[in-house]
Formats: sequence, C-alpha cells, structure tokens
Amino acid sequence: MIELVNVTKSYNGIIKAVDQMNLTVPKGEIFGFLGPNGAGKTTTIKMITGITRPDHGEITINGKNIRSEALEAKRQFGYVPDSPDLFLRLKGLEYVSFMADIYEVPQEVRGKRILQLADRFDMKNALGDPIQSYSHGMRQKIMIMGALIHQPEVWILDEPLTGLDPKSSFTLKEMMREHADSGRSVFFSTHVLEVAEKLCDRVGIINKGKILFSGTFAELREHFQSDVSLESLFLELTKHE
Amino acid sequence: MNKVLILTKMMMKNAEPAWRVEKGSGWKTALLLIVIALGVLPMIGSAVLVISELYDGLALIGQQGAILGFGVAMTSLVIFLFGILYVLSVFYYSKDVEHLLPMPLAPGHILGAKFTLALVYEYYTAVVFLGPLFITFGVKSGAGIMYYLLAILVFLVVPVLPLVLAALVVMLFMRFTNVKKYKERFRIIGGLIGIGIVVGFQALFQRQSSGSEFGMEQIQQMLLTQENGLLGFVTQLFPGSNLAALALIDSGTWGSLGYLFAFLFVAITGIAAFLYAGAYLYFSGVMGMSESVAKRKEIVDTAFAKLVQKRPAMLAYALKEWRMLWRTPAFLMNCTLSSILIPILMLIPLLSRRDSGEMISFIQTVMQKGSVAGMSIAIAFAAFLIMGAMNSTSVTAISREGQGFFTNKLLPMPYRDILLAKLFPGLVLSAVSMLLLLAEAVWFLQLSPGFIILAIVSGIPGLIFINMVGILVDLQLPKLRWSSEQEAIKQNLNPLFPLVLGLMAGGLVVLASFSLGTSMLGTALGIIVLFTLINIFLYRLVVTKGPGWLEQIEG
Ligand SMILES: Nc1ncnc2c1ncn2[C@@H]1O[C@H](COP(=O)(O)OP(=O)(O)O)[C@@H](O)[C@H]1O
Ligand SMILES: [Mg+2]
Repeated sequence: MIELVNVTKSYNGIIKAVDQMNLTVPKGEIFGFLGPNGAGKTTTIKMITGITRPDHGEITINGKNIRSEALEAKRQFGYVPDSPDLFLRLKGLEYVSFMADIYEVPQEVRGKRILQLADRFDMKNALGDPIQSYSHGMRQKIMIMGALIHQPEVWILDEPLTGLDPKSSFTLKEMMREHADSGRSVFFSTHVLEVAEKLCDRVGIINKGKILFSGTFAELREHFQSDVSLESLFLELTKHE
Repeated sequence: MNKVLILTKMMMKNAEPAWRVEKGSGWKTALLLIVIALGVLPMIGSAVLVISELYDGLALIGQQGAILGFGVAMTSLVIFLFGILYVLSVFYYSKDVEHLLPMPLAPGHILGAKFTLALVYEYYTAVVFLGPLFITFGVKSGAGIMYYLLAILVFLVVPVLPLVLAALVVMLFMRFTNVKKYKERFRIIGGLIGIGIVVGFQALFQRQSSGSEFGMEQIQQMLLTQENGLLGFVTQLFPGSNLAALALIDSGTWGSLGYLFAFLFVAITGIAAFLYAGAYLYFSGVMGMSESVAKRKEIVDTAFAKLVQKRPAMLAYALKEWRMLWRTPAFLMNCTLSSILIPILMLIPLLSRRDSGEMISFIQTVMQKGSVAGMSIAIAFAAFLIMGAMNSTSVTAISREGQGFFTNKLLPMPYRDILLAKLFPGLVLSAVSMLLLLAEAVWFLQLSPGFIILAIVSGIPGLIFINMVGILVDLQLPKLRWSSEQEAIKQNLNPLFPLVLGLMAGGLVVLASFSLGTSMLGTALGIIVLFTLINIFLYRLVVTKGPGWLEQIEG
C-alpha cells in the first residue's frame, strides 16, 4: 500500500515535475504508472523511495511515513531503478549478498532465495562475474534480484521491462502477478501501453506532473465513453496543448 | 579543426569544475577556498622570498637566469607527472569515450579536443608554479612590459611539451597493455613496475652523483667560464626548458625572440608528433576499455556458501567500500596503493645517499635524549597526521559514489551507520601508512619500545581526527557529477582541506612541544588528551549533524 497526499516537487522552482499529486496504490494489485517521457514518473518514484524530497506533501508506504519513519518505511519496499549501472565493480553475488546483509536476511534462507531467483532469471552462471561484464538486461536482472532478496511487501519498479529479453520479461511479469495475488502491492512505471493493459489491475496516467486519470481500464473506457483504441485515447489524454 | 573546437567545447561544458556552486552552498565553497588559500599563501609567500634571495645571490656571479631555467624545468617535470594522470583519465577512462568512438571522427579530432582539455587542466597547475616565479623574476630584474608579454606567451607554451611526452608514454603503454584478459590488473601491475624502474634508476643515479667531488668541480668551472652557464646545467632536468628561460632573459632582444621561436617550434613539432603517433596508437589502445573478464561458470557450492555468509549491516557496507577501493583503478592508485607507496617512496632519498649512514646515527643519538625525545614524538605524530591527510580515502568517501549516491537513501540503514562505515577504509589505510612509516623508522633508528608504543598510541587519535575531518568536508561539498572516476579525486578540491589542516595541526604540535620542552611521555599525553577531546567533538558532529547533511545531498 502506497499513499501520496498533495505531493509537489519542482527541480528549478519554476516548472513542477510533480504537481499536487494524490495517489493510492492498494494492496493486492499491480498498479501501472503510465505516461510519456518526462511526465514525472521517475521523479514520483524517487520521492516515494526517499531518494529525493518532495517540496510539499506526505508519502506513506504501508502506513510508514518515508520521512518521519524512514527506516521502517524503507524496509517495506524493494526498488529497481531505471538505470541499472550501479556497483559495477562488485560481482553479482557480492552485490546480492550485500543487499541481503543490509536488509538483514537470515542466513538460513538467503542461499536458497538467491539460487531460486538466479534460476528464474537464468543468472546462475553469471553470479561469479563482475556486474561490469553484464549486458544491460543482465544488470537489470541483478538489480531485481537485489531488490527482491528481502521479500519486500511493496515492489517499486521504474521501467523494469525495458531491457529484458522475452523470457525474463515473462518471468518478471509472472512474479509481479504472483506477488499481487498474494495480497501485496506492485507499483511500476512504463510508457508501453500494451504491457500496462495486459498486466495492470489499475493504472494512473500522468502527464506534466499531474494525474489525469486513475482507475481500471474498464473505468477508463467508461469515463471517456469512447471506443477508440487505447493508443488514441492515451495520445488524446497526454496531448501537449 | 572545426570539429576539434566543437568537441573541446562539448567536453569543457560536460566536465564539472573542481568546485560546483549550488544554491545555498556558495559560502561553503568560499570557506573551503579561504582555508586552502590560508594554507597555500604562506607557501607562495615563502617561494617568493626564496626566489628573490636566490636571485640576489646568483646575480652576484651573473647566474640569475638559472632560476628561470630551474623553475621551468621543475614545472615541466611536475606537469609531466600530472599529465600522465590527466591523459589516463581524460583520454581513456572518461565516460564520453564510448560515445565518441562510434561517431565519424578521426583520431585527430578526438585527440585534439582531449589534448586541449588536459592542457587547460595543466594551466591550473602551471600558474601556481610559474606565476610567482615569473613575476618575482620580473620585479627583481626590473623588466619592462616586453618581458611580461613574453612571460605570458612562455607560460602558455611550457605545459605543451611535457603533456605531449606524457601522452606519448601513456598511449604507448595503453596500446601494448590492451590485452584481452585481466586488462585492468595487467595495467596496474605494469604501471607499478614502470614506477619501480624509474624510481630505481633515479636512486641509482643519485647515489652515483651524490657525494662525488667531480660534479662540484665541473659546476664551479662552468660558473666561472660562462654567463648563465648554470642555466644549461639545471635545465638538463627537462628538455626544452632552457629555450623558455633564454627567451625571457634579455627579453625583447633579437636573440631572445630567436629562442622564443625555437621554443614555439619545439612545441608545435611535439603536437604534430603527438597527433601522428596518436593516429596509430589511440584507437587500438582505447577500444574495449570497459570490457571485463567474465567466466560465466556456476560458483561451486563451498565458494557460494562463503560469499553469502551473513554479516552485520555496517560491516557489509564497509566491505563494499573496501572492495570498490581495491577494484577501481583510479581509486586503487589514489587511495589504496598510495597509502602504501608514499611511505615506501619516502625511503628513496634516504637510501640513495651515500652519507646517509652517518646522518642516521646522528639523528638516532640525539632524538631519544631528554627534551628532544618529546619533540621526536611530536614529529612522529605530525608525520602520521600528514601521511593520513595525504590519503584521499575519507575525504572522497561520498564523492566517489558519483551518480550511484542515491542508493544510500534507499537502504534501511541509519545515515549515521553509513557515515561510520565509510570512515572505516580510510582509518585502516592511514593506520597502514603509520605502521609502515614506523617500521621504516625502527629499521633505521633502533627505536626504544617505549617510544614505539607512545608513537602509536598518540598517533591513533591523530588518524581518527584527520579521517573525520575528511568525511565532514566531503559531506559539505561532495563532487558527485564526474565523468571518470579519476575526476572524483583529482579534480576535487576537498582533499586539499585536510592536507592544509594536517600540515597546520602537525606544525603546531611540533612547535608546542618545542617551546614547552615537554618530555616524551608528557608530549604523548598532551597529544592524546587534546586530540581525544577534539575527536569527541568531531564524532558528535558526525553522528548528530552528519545524517542531516547526508540527507540534504541530492545526486
Ligand atoms: N535531476 C533533475 N534535475 C532537473 N530536472 C529534472 C531532473 N530529473 C528530472 N527532471 C525533470 O523533471 C521532469 C520529469 O522527469 P522524470 O520524472 O524523469 O520523467 P519520466 O520518468 O516520466 O520520464 C522532466 O521535465 C525532467 O526534465
Ligand atoms: Mg523515467
């Protein structure tokens, strides 16, 4: 469960990257955050995860405020950034173990979890190599493994499917589904409509820092009472005036 | 040519300046600059004094031109050494290389632009050395406007040749070490061997020449026979520097203009040679810079179990820092290895003199007696402190993270713990420096166990002090936007701050023990009490204010 109340952020004091945003991501759902480039998706995610500070507004994750109960809030989620070029000098396994240590994953389960994740993402043979030697998609997969090693309640993924091959992409989508179906939340951003339509229980459409619509696809169609394609609807919604 | 200009402009804009003035942090930058200036100004002041004294002395025998020659030669040497680092980071380890390679650019375009960029960096260095020299010389010799015009021109040309030489050395090295496997390790080891050879030759050469009367006699002869004869001797240090000096002596005469043109000609020839050689060497050395070894084999069970062993969070974090320090070439050279190499390199002047034996036994008898022994502890303390200050590990602990800094904000780890974990590698490395230095001293001076213990016990608070100062400075003005890891350390002003502070604090401690005439034990106790108090204060600052400062930083 993620809640944003009146969240505003401006980088330069003039243009608002995120403007008075109110958003609730309920439990048991995959929530797709949909919008064109520069809409404010990454900025929103960075505020939710505590990387940047909003100018105004409150953000809670499972009821824990990211500012006043920072550590508790941070333990609730696993986050995969949009650019996976991090910790390049570490070996894949060193990175995942590092994350396991920081999130205090018990000794008994961590080995098994790492192997399971590696198996699902086909990374077993790469764990012993430096992340520097990974392809973009492999780097993304190791970041996902690091984010999920502590089995977080809330998943926050910034454009997670962009660099993945069909099999890994399928696996991740499958895992997202399982996670949501077990009563927990998945929040991810994308600009690919087809993905959102197939995968999400609910979407938020954002443009220029404002939420234009939030709800299910059925509600979206109903709301605009149109039977044009989703693509034209999206283009219409996010048209630059 | 046009493309070179476009590229240079792009790179200049892309490169962050050594300090970045952000909203509201302007005063911090100003403060940092003031403190550095306070440290540097006395040095420049004393340099000016020394130069003018030397001028007066040498003018008596008509050899004052040697000052210019010596200054230019020494500056060239420094620029050459810096040049090696700049060329490595600008030409090879910069992130833009991989974007430039696919563009339809000739090696000459990229090389021209990168050379210009490195040259600009070198001017910053050159102005510190040549500025006081040229101005003092001009004032002393009562030179006219012509001299100053020529001096500016010479200043602009002096760094060219050393940089060309540095670039040639590096390009050759990178070309022939561009091997498939273990490239980084191979290059580091190759580089170290290179340094070893140069240093060995240097030591051998000095041992040969020091203490022999032959050299002195020759010099005397030379001094007597020709005006400015000494110039020829001192400028042997670096080729071409005699031309620069001669262009400035008797400025404005046809002769001096001749030398100036000769100097320009040498520089231009150098650039041409650089571009010519670069066309063959650069691309084949720079390709595959980011390649890394991958085995793609499953880790065997025992190794796996060891790697996933559970550790406390702070230890895991410190270990991550430690691994990054050892595995990133730029960090390895500047932080890790330098803490081991500097104490060892300091041995060389000692080893290379023939008469060092007598000197040592003299020091040995004097230093452990009475009140002098107290000062020896102070001197040991100052040496450890300065050694710790020369280590850039803690003062770049945040800058080194660069664009990945944001990860700190995600981890469910108190910022306090992050800061303390970040102090760990710096402390370990400066302790290694301290122990190495002490081991060398024990080897030469047969120190008493009491002295050794007191030196260590009083040295430790000093190391803690300087490392905490480092991280506090980096918290104020972290340099997170760099395009090569080298920049995080070398194009960052922060390391200068602890260095200045270390020099001042060390100097004050020595001065205090000298003027108070305290005993060995008294000095050690004084240092321990004083620095423990300071450390308690700094620690409070790190754990109470530090987290807030860390929170403020946005990558
Ligand atoms: N670090 C930054 N500094 C200044 N402006 C930024 C920064 N990051 C993003 N922006 C601006 O904020 C707006 C939203 O960007 P972002 O959240 O990254 O969009 P998205 O992820 O939806 O593509 C854009 O107008 C972008 O230019
Ligand atoms: Mg984005």
